[in-house]
Amino acid sequence: MVEVRLENIVKRFEGTTALKGISLRIHEGELFTLLGPSGCGKSTTLRIIAGLEFPDEGEIYFGGERVTYLPSNVRRAVMVFQNYALWPHMSVFDNIAYGLKLKKMPKEEIAKKVEWALELVKLKGFENRYPTQLSGGQQQRVAIARALVVEPRVLLLDEPLSNLDAKLRLEMRSEIRRIQRELGITVIYVTHDQEEAMAISDRIAVMNVGTVEQVGTPKEIYEEPKTEFVASFMGKTNVIPARVVDRAGDRVAVEFGSVRLDGLRYTGDSDEVVVVIRPERIRIAPGENTVSLRGKVDLVEYYGFFVEIIGIFDEHRIIARLMSDKGLEKFKPGSDITFYVDRDDIIVLPKQQI
Amino acid sequence: MVTLSKWRFSKWSEKLFGTPRLEPLVSFSFLFPIIYLVLFLIVPVLVMLGNAFDYNGHLSLYWFKSLTMRYYFNPLHPSGYLFKKTAEGVYYFYGWDFGVILNSIIVSLSVMGLTTLLGTIFAFVMARYDFPGKNIVRILLFVPLLVTPFVNIVIIQKMFSPGGLIDWIFYNKLHILPHPIWLDGLIGVIVAQTMTYYPMVYLNAYASFINIDPSLEEQAENLGSRGFHLFRTVTFPLALPGIAAGAVLVGIFSLEDLAAPIVFQGAPIARKLMSFQIYSAFTSPIGLIGTPQLSALALVMLGVSLVLFFSIRAYVGRKQYSMLSKGGRWNPRVSKPKWWQAIIIYLLVIPTILLTIFPQIGVVLLAFSKRWYSTWPQGFTLENIKAVVTQPGVTRVIMNSLTYSTAAIVIILILSLTSAYAVNRFRKAKLAPVLDSLSTIPIAVSGIVIAMSYFVFFSKVPPFKNIPSLNPLNLLKFNPAFLLILAYSIRRLPFAARSISAGMQQVHVSLEEAAINLGAKRWKAVTGILMPMIVLNVLGGAMLSFVYCMSETSVGITLGHMNPTYMPITAKMKELISSSVGSAHLAAGLGVFLMAIQIAAIVLANLITKQRTSFIGVT
Repeated sequence: MVEVRLENIVKRFEGTTALKGISLRIHEGELFTLLGPSGCGKSTTLRIIAGLEFPDEGEIYFGGERVTYLPSNVRRAVMVFQNYALWPHMSVFDNIAYGLKLKKMPKEEIAKKVEWALELVKLKGFENRYPTQLSGGQQQRVAIARALVVEPRVLLLDEPLSNLDAKLRLEMRSEIRRIQRELGITVIYVTHDQEEAMAISDRIAVMNVGTVEQVGTPKEIYEEPKTEFVASFMGKTNVIPARVVDRAGDRVAVEFGSVRLDGLRYTGDSDEVVVVIRPERIRIAPGENTVSLRGKVDLVEYYGFFVEIIGIFDEHRIIARLMSDKGLEKFKPGSDITFYVDRDDIIVLPKQQI
Repeated sequence: MVTLSKWRFSKWSEKLFGTPRLEPLVSFSFLFPIIYLVLFLIVPVLVMLGNAFDYNGHLSLYWFKSLTMRYYFNPLHPSGYLFKKTAEGVYYFYGWDFGVILNSIIVSLSVMGLTTLLGTIFAFVMARYDFPGKNIVRILLFVPLLVTPFVNIVIIQKMFSPGGLIDWIFYNKLHILPHPIWLDGLIGVIVAQTMTYYPMVYLNAYASFINIDPSLEEQAENLGSRGFHLFRTVTFPLALPGIAAGAVLVGIFSLEDLAAPIVFQGAPIARKLMSFQIYSAFTSPIGLIGTPQLSALALVMLGVSLVLFFSIRAYVGRKQYSMLSKGGRWNPRVSKPKWWQAIIIYLLVIPTILLTIFPQIGVVLLAFSKRWYSTWPQGFTLENIKAVVTQPGVTRVIMNSLTYSTAAIVIILILSLTSAYAVNRFRKAKLAPVLDSLSTIPIAVSGIVIAMSYFVFFSKVPPFKNIPSLNPLNLLKFNPAFLLILAYSIRRLPFAARSISAGMQQVHVSLEEAAINLGAKRWKAVTGILMPMIVLNVLGGAMLSFVYCMSETSVGITLGHMNPTYMPITAKMKELISSSVGSAHLAAGLGVFLMAIQIAAIVLANLITKQRTSFIGVT
């Protein structure tokens, strides 16, 4: 277990710069997630930490030790691959024992350690099976056991749940969390699924085209996005381009179409902004500190315990998520509707070139 | 505390080999095959070709210009004739003579066209129709794959001679032909090569038809297409890249073929082919081998094959769509033929297949008979088979071939394992495309060009020319073993390389990365993880290359024949078929022996890989 530090990591692949100077500090014993769309550089970052790729610039430290150019086979930053990479010609036992045998450990000790690992991932009794005889979830457990048994300084998980079906995904998610807590190990986790990231992580780094946009706890990332990209990537949300038309201290008034919203908090320089409104923060009744938006209902979507009403406000579509309740039936496509939002729930961010 | 600084990293190692740290295993995997192929393929060919530009010590195009004279290039006033009626009322087919260069190209294109027609039709019938007897036909279609150098052409020559099988069936018995026919000259060469090489198109086309996602055709039917329209608009275009690859390979093989021109050389026009012209220098006084004019001719021949080779590589590279769709249920589209289709299959397709497998049957008949003058052989005998096992002159050539082939296979395995590993695992390395091209290029360099270039290279370039056993000009001491092993290892490399490369592509790189990541050194990851997973591909590829080494012709009958003590099987067979009456039967005995080895290899390969088409490296 160790603190992992990345300083200004740059990685170039023929013609393109995959990582444009990444700096991160991952605390000892934390579950840290690299989150971003495909091609953002999160897997490259993970492979660089594993020693399977080397950066063109920058340094990596495990605790006080600089490991930037340390080969993968002596780095002890062990990765669980997206496809699990279980060796089909070896039994479950041999797969897990592989790393221990390389260390020339005595047989009895290997057997003991493998047993411990299998118990940890709840696969006791599967020693003599072969990978092809296991289900996807079981293969995943073997891959995790194989990584953990060598006592890695940091465990790296590359999209570990992407090959599992929805139900297993939830189960393995809490399993990974349980094992991480039990061992108190540093885990770096890569995913493109923001919901998964929020559910599992201590902290998240949101990445986009080779840069880190924001680092924070799931709550910070969700509630206080620092950039338009983070705001739009974290779940279904309303991101409306607007213009600052009036400023008074840290409060501004913005306009989009004929809609004017005033008294919003904004300290940026640019007048070209986006207004971010989380769907679940929209009400259909006024409150103390609310602004109002008057428009028409475009669509009503029923999801069970909540309903989404999509309103049109001067050609801008805004989604509101409301608890299923009596009284919502009156909203039909075409009928008038007014959305109310607390001023402090509205986030104004400078417009970003994406 | 371990600290490794950046100086251990080498920019050029990353550029050349794709590993930031110089790794012995990886750099060896790149450098060994590259150096080997450059030294024993590229350099000798270049040394020989240097000749072609040398006129009395000056750089000159003189020898290329000399190739425009009528003997070599005569597009406007061809001599010869397609056929004429002889005094006996036989229609004698011969061929027009457009000069050596055009003749070769015309023969090659004709063979490509005919093999494509036969191969595609057979493949479509086998891939899409279910008819009684199909399994027997499937086995029969394996027969023409058996390589029996020279003797199968001898049988084809007999088949199409007056009183041969074709006249007997179609003139004497069925009365379909109004006159007896006799195919000789270039027409004979075209027919012989077509019958020898069509399986290559057949196998490619069959694989292509089988690999088309059925839902693509179902969708077309669903939208209203059917019958020939469906075939023309969907099925055929999807199978075309595979068929074209097979056809181009046939074109290259036809260009470099020596067996058919040698067997048909009784008709002077059959000698007017590029391959035969270069070869014939080896049968004349030794000073004539590798003259500048022949070097220029070899360059033209090489040019034609390289154009064919690179155009098909570019074309197939752009059209990799048979695997585009995924998922869904795979319902093979096999149907019962309609009545008129059944008539075509039973009256046209199957009889044609039977005719094309007759050469191999004929080789067996020839081996077990005393005389063969008319339609059928006469007098059963085991003498020829016995000679194969006991006669010292014959067992010696068998031992020679086994020795050379075994040595070549060891080299081939090292070459294909290293090159496949380097190219598949380090794609970003600057040397990867170089090695990739180098290791497939032997397909396009004909055997006779290699033979001639080795002759020039080993007789002119030090230090080789000073080693008596390596210098072919040293008639008494020359031992072709080393040169033959080199030539075999390069000519038959693509078969094993392809099989091993296919195996490596199926092993995801993360399996090795996981091992390294868990603490293994690269060597350990390769031997412990990768090798056990591709062992079947290695075995299959090795066997394939081995049987083709045993039947290698061009280098074997030229360099291999310069010192009869050390000649390989094929040189002996060529000697036998061109010498006295009755020797062809012994040559056929050797042909049967080669067939036995090949059948054993096929059976073994099928047993261990359980893959029917794995025997054929051409897919």
